[in-house]
Amino acid sequence: MNTIDPRIHQALDGDLPLEGVPAELRPVVRRIAAAADLLAAVGPAVSLESRVMAEIRRPAPSRSRRLTRWLASPHAITFRIRPAWSLALATAAAVLMLFVARGGGPELSEHEGLAQFVGRFPDAQSVHVVGSFNDWRPRSLPLEDQNHDGVWRTTVVLPAGIYEYMFVVDGERWVTDHLAERLVADEFGRENSVVIVRPVRR
Amino acid sequence: MKLSVALLALLAGPLAAQSARARLEGRLPSAAIPAVDSLVQLAFQEGLPTEPLIQKALEGGAKQVTGPRIVAAVQVSLAQLRDARALLARAGDRPPPLPSEVTTVAWALRRGLPAPVVERVVAALPHAPRAAAMHAIADLVAHHFDPDSAAGLIIDAVHHGLQRERLLDVSTAALHELQRGHTQAEAIGLVRQALPNVPGPPKPTRGTVAGARRPGAAASP
Amino acid sequence: MDVRGAPPDAEVVARVLGGDAEAFGIVIRRYEAGLQRFATRMLGSRDAAADAVAEGFVRAYRHLASCREPTRIRTWLYRIVTNRCKSHLARRSVADVPLDDAPPVADPSDSAAALERAEQLALVNRALTALSPDKREAFVLKHVEGLSYEEMAAVTGERIPTLKMRVHRAREALLKALEAYA
Repeated sequence: MNTIDPRIHQALDGDLPLEGVPAELRPVVRRIAAAADLLAAVGPAVSLESRVMAEIRRPAPSRSRRLTRWLASPHAITFRIRPAWSLALATAAAVLMLFVARGGGPELSEHEGLAQFVGRFPDAQSVHVVGSFNDWRPRSLPLEDQNHDGVWRTTVVLPAGIYEYMFVVDGERWVTDHLAERLVADEFGRENSVVIVRPVRR
Repeated sequence: MKLSVALLALLAGPLAAQSARARLEGRLPSAAIPAVDSLVQLAFQEGLPTEPLIQKALEGGAKQVTGPRIVAAVQVSLAQLRDARALLARAGDRPPPLPSEVTTVAWALRRGLPAPVVERVVAALPHAPRAAAMHAIADLVAHHFDPDSAAGLIIDAVHHGLQRERLLDVSTAALHELQRGHTQAEAIGLVRQALPNVPGPPKPTRGTVAGARRPGAAASP
Repeated sequence: MDVRGAPPDAEVVARVLGGDAEAFGIVIRRYEAGLQRFATRMLGSRDAAADAVAEGFVRAYRHLASCREPTRIRTWLYRIVTNRCKSHLARRSVADVPLDDAPPVADPSDSAAALERAEQLALVNRALTALSPDKREAFVLKHVEGLSYEEMAAVTGERIPTLKMRVHRAREALLKALEAYA
């Protein structure tokens, strides 16, 4: 078990001031705090006040009425969902069904699908995606950073199937796509990302 | 069926030899090409898929790895294919195994599924293709689901009539429950109860299709 | 609405119990943001969280007389909402899934900053997902909601040493995951 210095726990528990933690350990304390900040930053939620107050002002239904209402209310409402958070973040290796090619775009056969690649490389001059879908040719599939915000992307039509890949930054730096949900050892000491391309029709 | 596969193999023999070398030339250190080519030929003669080996060699060349390391990696890939074929035989698949199934099982093992679990899935799903089932299970195992339980869920899903890529939706649903705060075991229970009602994949954003391109040299998966 | 200068919790509770139902709005405005954030983490969905928290407030209003320490109403509210969340989780089946619209998702139209946050949030969430719900809940209550161990004990019904152990384990798992991608 990977245990950390107990003073870090004490500082985070509020039992020890940060000054009581050796300087070399303080970054650890800050990392935890930063992670917590990320989780806290959900964004402004809608106020519930009017909804709750409306319910409070309404006379509480009798027990039998509540039961009737419960029985009558729908319990299985299916909505279109977005994938779970960590999967959603795999838009870097997103599994997309072709929907409608209205207004342009490639015609896809029923055995093809789309793979979308996204990566954040703010200082890069070029980014390519290289993998088993292009015979690992380092320069054949460039990503684009159209608005120069450091976010590079491209969408590729591929035969349905499973592929391994990495990003290549500035023609020389090989980078695993960590937003991809699936990783696999490459037998060269690194990890490849894996994308599954789903066919159009199914 | 078996006869025509064998005939095809005979006809494709010399072609396979040529195409491997042609693809490797200029992409790897030239000293490594004969060794890699021999391994490809060996796989071919054993009835194993050769594309994974060629891809591994091309990958090593692209990553500028030394010749010996490339050869070693291709040997590892060949060993994985042999293991996969042996597993298919143990699980009861009649030989010769379909190359696509050998590739699928090799993938499953690479992604960390224990061999007994893979065997169980192969035995429970007698018809190819099993790729989606294997990857759906591997997706769950990557999120710390118990491999046997994950396999059980996907097998159940198949018995409920879900097939192929829809099985990926089953594992997505279980991962969704995990995100909601359930344990892995609870997640499996919830999804199982709902079978076969599992939400489909999300629609792509507009404009995504319009901007899509095809790779210059698309290899087969 | 600015609630600074508004009356302290004990006084608001007294007013509500005395017949001034509208005063309960002060309690809602004061605590809903934190409760919604907590519930979103537990349920994975803003809509479900809003439902759970709204139900929690309604219950709190109806059972306000049983809040024994009005000065610590926040703890009491967290306990109610925790129970509402657990009830939601127990009820929910896969076919009854609400829209998940919570944290920054790497939608390609997002900015670079949003994508960076999304990456880091992915790592953090991945580490937390590997934990049991108990440890995850403990971490969120301690570090995101900022509850003291005493408050957490009151909210969850667990002993403080147990809660400390869960929080410590959660931190260690988090660090390990973050270090792997440093």
